[in-house]
Amino acid sequence: MLKYLLKRIVGTIPTLIIVVTFVFLFVRIIPGDPARLVAGEQATQQDVEAVRERLGLNKPVTTQYITYVSGLLHGDLGTSLRTKRPVLEEISGRFGNTVRLAAVTLLWSAIAGVLFGVWSGTHRGKWQDYTGMTVAVSGISLPSFWIGFLLIMLLAVKMKILPTTSSSDWKGLIMPSITLGLGIAAIIARFTRSSIVEILKEDYIRTARAKGIREKVVVWKHVFRNSMISVVTVVGLQFGFLLGGSVVTETVFAYPGLGSLLIESVNYRDYPAIQSLILIFSLQFIVINLLVDVLYAVLNPEIKLQ
Amino acid sequence: MKKNKKIQTQNQDRIRTPFSEAVRKFKKQKNAVIALCFIIFLIFLAFFGDIIAPYKINEYDYSAILQGPSLRHFFGTDEFGRDLFSRILSGTKISLAVGFGAVTVGAVCGTILGLLAGYYGGIIDSIIMRICDVLFAFPGIILAIAIVAILGSGMTNVVIAVAVFSTPTFARLVRSRTLTLKNSVFVMAAKNIGVSDAGILFRHILPGAIPDIIVQYSMSFGSSILTASSLSFLGMGAQPPTPEWGLLLSNGRNYMTSAMYVTIFPGLAIFLTVLSFNLLGDGLRDALDPKLSE
Repeated sequence: MLKYLLKRIVGTIPTLIIVVTFVFLFVRIIPGDPARLVAGEQATQQDVEAVRERLGLNKPVTTQYITYVSGLLHGDLGTSLRTKRPVLEEISGRFGNTVRLAAVTLLWSAIAGVLFGVWSGTHRGKWQDYTGMTVAVSGISLPSFWIGFLLIMLLAVKMKILPTTSSSDWKGLIMPSITLGLGIAAIIARFTRSSIVEILKEDYIRTARAKGIREKVVVWKHVFRNSMISVVTVVGLQFGFLLGGSVVTETVFAYPGLGSLLIESVNYRDYPAIQSLILIFSLQFIVINLLVDVLYAVLNPEIKLQ
Repeated sequence: MKKNKKIQTQNQDRIRTPFSEAVRKFKKQKNAVIALCFIIFLIFLAFFGDIIAPYKINEYDYSAILQGPSLRHFFGTDEFGRDLFSRILSGTKISLAVGFGAVTVGAVCGTILGLLAGYYGGIIDSIIMRICDVLFAFPGIILAIAIVAILGSGMTNVVIAVAVFSTPTFARLVRSRTLTLKNSVFVMAAKNIGVSDAGILFRHILPGAIPDIIVQYSMSFGSSILTASSLSFLGMGAQPPTPEWGLLLSNGRNYMTSAMYVTIFPGLAIFLTVLSFNLLGDGLRDALDPKLSE
């Protein structure tokens, strides 16, 4: 087990290096002079040179790279062009909000998705299956920003039960969380269903039924538990989808998280911030994928044996 | 007379090819058939939408701003008095073109990379798969935003961004199919009689991967349209006055309380289009996947 864990951790190192390199190159592959972009259209040549000096863009690329990486290792992500504050401060101020939104969303959508999936899967070919899967395929097809607006119009404007813009208290989390979670719940439901359908065909299920075990016990003890091995993987992988989705959802609700910060930074061309945010998003994603792999190994006895 | 009769008997016990089998299974799925009809209808609108449209897309009418749906304006008008129905009709070709462009490029690149990685293995496989891993290390839309931030906003760059992140999915899919087919008897036979590598890859292995590619193509088409409209919504894709659906919706949020329909109709258009591609994908999977046949 420990060996597997080590192997997996070592395996992510090349990916990490390439991601960091890509993010480093990010500002340098923007067409045009990055110093000019940072300084602004109206800046004088002197200002541009000053920016070049400040960002270290006049040094050789390898020196820049080493400076960048050692900065990262010391927690230095550069200075935001928009607020003139360290990017790390900007990000850490909003990080908690995004994690809270993601956690609440993943929780409800995983429970709802799995229940819907089990319900559809155990009633294969019947109306329950069709209903569940029609809802699910609609869920993955809904533009989240549209759902966000419909919720605002319905719950905030018409019925006035929730605030229009969101704060980070629980009331403000409801609408963003529904918006963000619908698609994820739908994906989890579809996957759970197909996993349940597969397992229902297994010999040990026939054996369990032949033994005379009640159908409820067969479903929850045998089918459900075995299907969870692969469902856990999919739930974990949805975290990446969640991070991406948070960009749109946070913008719709003006929610103060990392996603809306990314959009603000892109609109302002705040390259140090964009760079760091993209790095943070992909680091989170890599870590989550690693955790999911480990969890899968813990849950699946077949992998442990190898 | 005699010849006629012979043809008739031939017709009765038609040979069941994999293709006819797939068609038969596909026809059984009503959702997918309806979705396909809707997609054909959308393609028709994409070509002739501008001719059918009752108004020009940039026809300003300041005497009729933000009017609700009526017989004159089916979906109402926007803040400049432009007819929303005509604009949404015209937006069809943008969304379909984006989906088609991005997914086709992604599918072609991904398929070639997947074939090479699976067939040759070794260092080529490692390099290609490592690149895919890196692309997978960015949550989809974040990668697209990064690419658009580099290249600048605009529809062409959105297409490039979406193509880049749909490529690794195809590469992985085709690679795994190639790995299984590489060791099959017919590929070995082809190798033994001296068929070139290119011949084996494109004439013997690729056809085996086509069903997977078709299913993924349809699924990616839907999600690409969704991503592209999200990017436009965020202000990184189409720019005004383009009648792109995501942009129309984004514009509508300023009039949410007074004119709800300005956000409702473009959203509905996106939803129905993406839904039909997803339903088509589901139907194709059930029709083409040999594992599911019973």
